[in-house]
Amino acid sequence: MIELLTSSLRLSAPLIFAAMGGLLCERAGVATICLEGVLLISAFTAASVDLLTLNPIASVVAGMFAGSIFMGLHAFLTQKAKTDHIISGVAINILAAGLPPLLSQAWFGSSTNTPSVPTAARLSAAWMIAISLVLPLGIHYLIYRTRFGLRIRSAGDGPEALQTAGVSVEKVRTLALLLGGALTSLGGSYLSIGHSSQFLRDMTAGGGFIALAAVIFGKWRPIPVLFASLFFGFTEALPMILQGISWKGISIPVQWIQTLPYLLTIGILVTTIGSARPPRAIGSNQN
Amino acid sequence: MKQLFSVSIALLVSLTFLVLLLFFMGEDLNALSEALQHTFLNRFGLGYTLFYTTPLIFTGLSVALCFHAGLFNIGAEGQLLWGAIAIVAFSRYFPNLPPWSAIPLSFVVAALAGSLWGFLPGYFKAKRGTHEVITTILLNFIALSCVNYLILYPFKNPESQSAETSVLPAGYQLQTLWFPTTPVNVSLIIAIAVAIAVYVLLFRTSFGFELRTMGQSPRAAVFSGVLLSQRTLAVFMISGALAGLVATNDILGNEHKLIEGFSPGYGFTGIAVALLARNHPIGIIFSSFLFGSLQNFSRELEFFSQNISKEVSLILQAILIILVSTRDFWQRRRLK
Repeated sequence: MIELLTSSLRLSAPLIFAAMGGLLCERAGVATICLEGVLLISAFTAASVDLLTLNPIASVVAGMFAGSIFMGLHAFLTQKAKTDHIISGVAINILAAGLPPLLSQAWFGSSTNTPSVPTAARLSAAWMIAISLVLPLGIHYLIYRTRFGLRIRSAGDGPEALQTAGVSVEKVRTLALLLGGALTSLGGSYLSIGHSSQFLRDMTAGGGFIALAAVIFGKWRPIPVLFASLFFGFTEALPMILQGISWKGISIPVQWIQTLPYLLTIGILVTTIGSARPPRAIGSNQN
Repeated sequence: MKQLFSVSIALLVSLTFLVLLLFFMGEDLNALSEALQHTFLNRFGLGYTLFYTTPLIFTGLSVALCFHAGLFNIGAEGQLLWGAIAIVAFSRYFPNLPPWSAIPLSFVVAALAGSLWGFLPGYFKAKRGTHEVITTILLNFIALSCVNYLILYPFKNPESQSAETSVLPAGYQLQTLWFPTTPVNVSLIIAIAVAIAVYVLLFRTSFGFELRTMGQSPRAAVFSGVLLSQRTLAVFMISGALAGLVATNDILGNEHKLIEGFSPGYGFTGIAVALLARNHPIGIIFSSFLFGSLQNFSRELEFFSQNISKEVSLILQAILIILVSTRDFWQRRRLK
């Protein structure tokens, strides 16, 4: 039981970081299916920099920087060039899937994974989990109690009003995306050098999309989104427990168990979506 | 014409990127010309390029049809997996069919399986309003696990060490076409025929007109009497069927068995294919050829270079998507 709880917390942490990052972007009115790519590229950057410097803090910062650059690209494409948010997100995901294997092959001689980081240079998982649990409170404060938060909410719910007040919607959205990218990247760095000790190809396994589902399930509000992420982390931890169990000598095939988090995520989205209302101007471009 | 121009510019930029990449990685630039030759200039290379073109026509059409109706199908990857396993299952139960019935029935079975998997996101969207982008992505993961299970247990080839099914009965094996020693097969011709059929459906039937109205203005569609939920369901099922057909090329035409992870992301490349062709079914034939060559080219480049992995094709794909989708932006800047 304790084991189940701790492993759910461990698996929730990247989801919480990504969900908080995604929440900021979506509240500002930008659809972010590129969370997955941002997680992946930050995980790879953190692992590579850690192998080079053996300094986990510098690696996390590098990961955040890389994630912000990718979100910055999303900001440029959606806000400046006015492309469709989903298409831009897909392009960024494809880019983030292609870049790590290429660089990993060139730097470490293997396109599927980086070498392992020495234990001393790993990120403290306990600290990261603690931060992930406190972060939603900070986001709650930022969104509901600060001027910048009000602007983020307006950019998502009533960009016309923001424009009328003389604030650039594009600027607010870009800032929200950069900040959201940095937060999401905490999750990526945690995955590669905190939770694990190396970068593996496709190691995020759809975590970015599950985080996005958590944002929807939590109705775009930080504290409910935290609980949604914890719940999804729990569903990811279940397979590890279920794997050992057999009933009358028949054990459940691991492939069936692996589908559990995705099945539950879809089940929840399909059954609860009726009551979830996204930010009004999400995905729209101001001209 | 405008599209052709912007695609050429995008291609030029990606080629420049590639040359710079090779230069900075200390590669021999001959690798580039070798790889290009083995993609276009000899019979063997061109055969493989055409072989890689076929699945992209199917997934490109699948994505484009949804796009026309204002929907995103990011689930082609899962739909094509079900098409593949369905062919394997069908051949298991009817192993002695002669080719003239086995082959057409395999096409039907693959399309049906894909359309059943496409039904799900359509149903969720139509009845529950769940955004299709997130459900199709999650359904991809579910399909992958389920199909991997089916490959590893019920349909596993007992004589093989790797994760693959047994070889299909003789009646299910397609012969190569035009290019001996390469796997180009009749699927390519079917794919082109299907592209023309989708063109007719979209631009010459009232159903297609309704779909396009729905994509451009759902309100106008509702007021003209289109039942959005019904159409959403129909579009997703047709899209799923198109994606399911991908399997015919690889399974019937090349490997004659289903190997775990046989698709290098055809479903996702389909998005790029559709975008580049501006969702025009006939344009998709050509943009599939472009991305098919890109895939074959990156495979060859991995072979001829020291240290470039074939995932370079993903980066080039992303560059192409970004450049083509920002075309209007660059034009606005030029006008200023």
